Amino acid sequence: MIWLVMFLGGIFTFGTRFVMLSGWVVHSLPRWLIDAFAFVPIAVLTAILVPAVLIDPVTQQIVVIGNARVVATGVATIIALLTRNVIATITSGLTTLWFVQWWF
Amino acid sequence: MPDNHAHRRPAAEFWLGVRHELPLQLGVIPFGLVFGILGLSSGLTGLQTILLSAILFGGASQVVFAQLWAAGVPPLVVGGSVGVVNLRHVLYSASMAQYLMHLPLRWRILLGYLLTDEAYAVSIRRFRDGLHSPHQHYHLLGSGMTLWVAWQTSTITGVIAGTTIPDTWSLSFAIPLTFVAVVAPSIRRRADLFACVVAAALSLICQPLPWKSWIIVAACGGITAGWLTHYLTQTGDKFTSDKNTGAS
Repeated sequence: MIWLVMFLGGIFTFGTRFVMLSGWVVHSLPRWLIDAFAFVPIAVLTAILVPAVLIDPVTQQIVVIGNARVVATGVATIIALLTRNVIATITSGLTTLWFVQWWF
Repeated sequence: MPDNHAHRRPAAEFWLGVRHELPLQLGVIPFGLVFGILGLSSGLTGLQTILLSAILFGGASQVVFAQLWAAGVPPLVVGGSVGVVNLRHVLYSASMAQYLMHLPLRWRILLGYLLTDEAYAVSIRRFRDGLHSPHQHYHLLGSGMTLWVAWQTSTITGVIAGTTIPDTWSLSFAIPLTFVAVVAPSIRRRADLFACVVAAALSLICQPLPWKSWIIVAACGGITAGWLTHYLTQTGDKFTSDKNTGAS
């Protein structure tokens, strides 16, 4: 099953890159669609990010107080805004997570 | 750097593409290493992790795949989410079309496969700002292949390194952190903020929905919220979107 999803995902992804080069469809996209696409990365990644941080993997409840991931995400957000660097963001977030888990 | 010399020969265009693409590998190679390590820690096999880099060939969507697959999300929702993440490529494809449409189909298929964020970023500048040359599509071949080689080798290296890293390091949390790295700097307009807030709220509120479909609901809700805000504030804002093809 995993292979099927990988291949279908790959075909779809190739499709998104090839579709406007194919000559089989319209040659320009409507303005409203271009505007909507601009919000795709923010919306999708936030939707996956927030539950991964806030929801406890064992109890499936939303936990804010005493959640080391919340602290780590806060630090990483600040570093991301300051540096705009992926590796600096990951490193600062993981280091914070380890520190908080070790401290408490 | 746009290069204003007309490079007539295919090889010259190709190597110019390689040269323009190389500096970006400073960001790509560490990300590939991280993905290789993450793939294993989220339960994919080494082979699946490596082939994901070749089949999807898109950093953010591969990380989404690994995260959701590890969380036991139904396959259809995983595939749908990967697809939505990659929708932005339609924009790249559209803006490249005027420079590539005259090429034979085999060229357009190859260049389509290689059309990633980073290759698009450098080659569209060559096409727009550089002098026109009949072999300019070799520039995209050069930038695309540079990225491809860097991405595959760094993924493989990450997979090899990842087998030695213990689970207690909580490395899988690096996945949400990569999303922080993409999302936080990309919030520039009020509409971006609304898209983010609505997606976040819906992702929590809709948790009880079946088949983990909260991902798709929250994503679509966020896109709609951003889009509506954009349209409602457009008359007041001077800085509306000039073909926003950036992000991740």
